[in-house]
Amino acid sequence: MSKPRVAIFDFACCEGCQLQIVNLEEEILDLINVVDVVEWREAMSEQSHEFDIAIIEGSITRPEDEKRIEIIRSRCKIMIALGACATIGGVNKMKNKFDLEEVKHCVYGKDAHMPHLETGLTKAVHEVVDVDYKIHGCPIDRKEFASVIRALLLGKRPTVPDYPVCVECKAKENICRYEYNEICLGPIIRAGCGARCPSSSFRCFGCRGYVDNPNVEAAREVMDKYGLTVEDLRQKMVLFGCEQGPTV
Amino acid sequence: MSVSKLSKEQFGQFVDAMLAAGRRVVGVVAKDDRFQFDELKSAAALRLDYDVTILPPKKYVLPQVEPLLQFEVGGGAQSVMNYDPLVLLGVHPYDLIAIRQMDELFSQGEYDRHYMDRRKQITIIACDVVRPSKNIFASSMETAVVSDGYDILITDIGDAYLLDVATEKGHALMTYAKGLAAAASADVEKRQAIQEANRTALNKHKLGCKVSYLPRLMEKAYNHPVWQEKARLCFSCGSCNQVCPTCYCFDVQDQVNWDLKTGERVRCWDGCLLENFATVAGNHNFRKDRSSRFRHRLFRKAKYVPEKIGGQIACVGCGRCITACVADIANPVTVYNRLMEERTLG
Repeated sequence: MSKPRVAIFDFACCEGCQLQIVNLEEEILDLINVVDVVEWREAMSEQSHEFDIAIIEGSITRPEDEKRIEIIRSRCKIMIALGACATIGGVNKMKNKFDLEEVKHCVYGKDAHMPHLETGLTKAVHEVVDVDYKIHGCPIDRKEFASVIRALLLGKRPTVPDYPVCVECKAKENICRYEYNEICLGPIIRAGCGARCPSSSFRCFGCRGYVDNPNVEAAREVMDKYGLTVEDLRQKMVLFGCEQGPTV
Repeated sequence: MSVSKLSKEQFGQFVDAMLAAGRRVVGVVAKDDRFQFDELKSAAALRLDYDVTILPPKKYVLPQVEPLLQFEVGGGAQSVMNYDPLVLLGVHPYDLIAIRQMDELFSQGEYDRHYMDRRKQITIIACDVVRPSKNIFASSMETAVVSDGYDILITDIGDAYLLDVATEKGHALMTYAKGLAAAASADVEKRQAIQEANRTALNKHKLGCKVSYLPRLMEKAYNHPVWQEKARLCFSCGSCNQVCPTCYCFDVQDQVNWDLKTGERVRCWDGCLLENFATVAGNHNFRKDRSSRFRHRLFRKAKYVPEKIGGQIACVGCGRCITACVADIANPVTVYNRLMEERTLG
C-alpha cells in the first residue's frame, strides 16, 4: 500500500504550530516512515499539487487566500486545521473587533493601501471551506498531533476532547483560579492541552476555543460570586475568543 | 485490640526508616496553601495536620491513566499487571470508607483484576482528622471516624501518635518502628475523646435527615424541579466527579504506536457530568441534558451505588465537590435537604 501524501500549508500565522511538528524530533522519523510529505514550506523546498491530506496552519485574511484554500480543498481528500489560527481564527481575529481601515493604518502606516497588503476580516479555515478535523491550541500539542495522524492512518476517527480544561486541570491537582477570585476560561474552553497554563499558575487563555456546548450563561452569572463583572470576562475572551460561536 | 504509641519524633523516624529501606510511601504534603497526596521523600514533608487534599487518595488506587494491556492490531493482547507495594499514609476516615466501597464494587460481578491486584499491594495507614476542612460534612454522612478497614490507624494526641495496628500488612510495617510502647489508658481515653468529637464536629453542612434515609428520599425525587434549577449553571466540567473519592467511572482508550501495528489500551478517569459521558455507538447520547447528568450524580451517590453495596451511601462528606464547583451548585447536602423539605413535589 502506498503511503498517504501529506502537504502542509500556512496562511496568516506565526508558523509556531508547524514548528511543533518539527519539534517532534526523533518522532518525525516515525512520521515520515508512514506518510509521504510532498510539500512543507517550513521544512523542505519541494512542492506538489497532488496530496491526500492537507494540513492547514493559519487563518484566512486576504481574498487571494480564500481562492488558495479553495484550490487546496479541491485537491485533498482530508483537510486538517492546525492550531488556533486555523481552528478558531486565533489572535488574528482580534482585528475583527476594529474598523478595518484603522487596523491597516495602525499596522502598515503609509503602505496600508499597497495591493499585497489588501486584507479583510479574519476567518478560521472552516469559515471558508469544509474542514474534516481540527487540532486545537496555540501552539498545538505535538502528542495530540501525532495521535490524530496515527488514528487517520488507521482509518479511525481521532478522539479530540470535547470537555472543558477543568478536567485536565483537576487531574493535575491545580488549585482552581476561582478559589483566588481570578477569572479562568477553563470551564468553557476545550481541553487537550493538559491544562498547561493553569499548571503554570496562569489562567486558561482559551486558545483551544469553546467546548462544543459551552455554558456561557453560567460563565457570565458566576462572575458576581467572585466579585467580578461580565466585562472582566469579556476582556479575557478578547485574545482568542473574538466572534466565535456563542459569545460571552 | 491493643493500641501502641510513638512520639512524634519516633513516628518521623518510622516513616524515614520505611523510605530508607526502599519502601514506596505516598503521604500528604503541602501544595501551595493546600494539600495533596504525593510521593514522600522524607518524613519532614509529611503534613498529617492537613484539612483535606485537593484530590482524594483514589488516584493511587485507581490511577488517572492506567495501562490495561498491550495489543497487536488485528492480533493478540497481553495484560499489563505489574503492581509494586505501596504505603498510603494519612488517609482520613471518609476517604478510607470511599476506598473500601471501591474495593467492594471492583470485586463484585466482573472481578477487576487490575484494580484488585494493585489494591492488594497497598497498605493503608489511616489517620483521624485533626483540622476540619471548610466544606466537610463527614459527620452528617457518618464517615467521620472508622473502626475498621485500615491496616493501621493513627491518631494525633498532641505530643504523640497512637497506633492501632489492625492487619498483617500493618504489623509487617511495624518492623520499621523503633521505641513502640503500649499506650497508657489516659492516652486511649484522649483518642476516644478526639474520635467522639469528630463524630459530630466535622459538619460544615448539615444533612436534614439520617443518612440511611437517602435512598428512600430519592425514590420520589426523579422529576423534582431542583435538577433543572441547579443544572442551569452547570459547566459540565466534571470537576465534582474528578475530586470525588467515590466516583470510579472510567473510559477505555486505545493508543497506537507509530508502527501502526502495536499499541496500548489504557483506562482513564471519566465523569458522568461530562457532556458525552453517555454517548454510545451511533452518536446517541442518552443523558444529553445538563439536568439529567446533574441528577444522575446525586442518584448514584444516594441510590444506585447503595443498592450495589448493602445500602452504604456513596457520598462520604469530604466536601471536595463543593470547593471544586465554580458555579457553586454541587453541594449534595443542599440538594438532599431541598428534597427533604419538598418531598411532595417529585
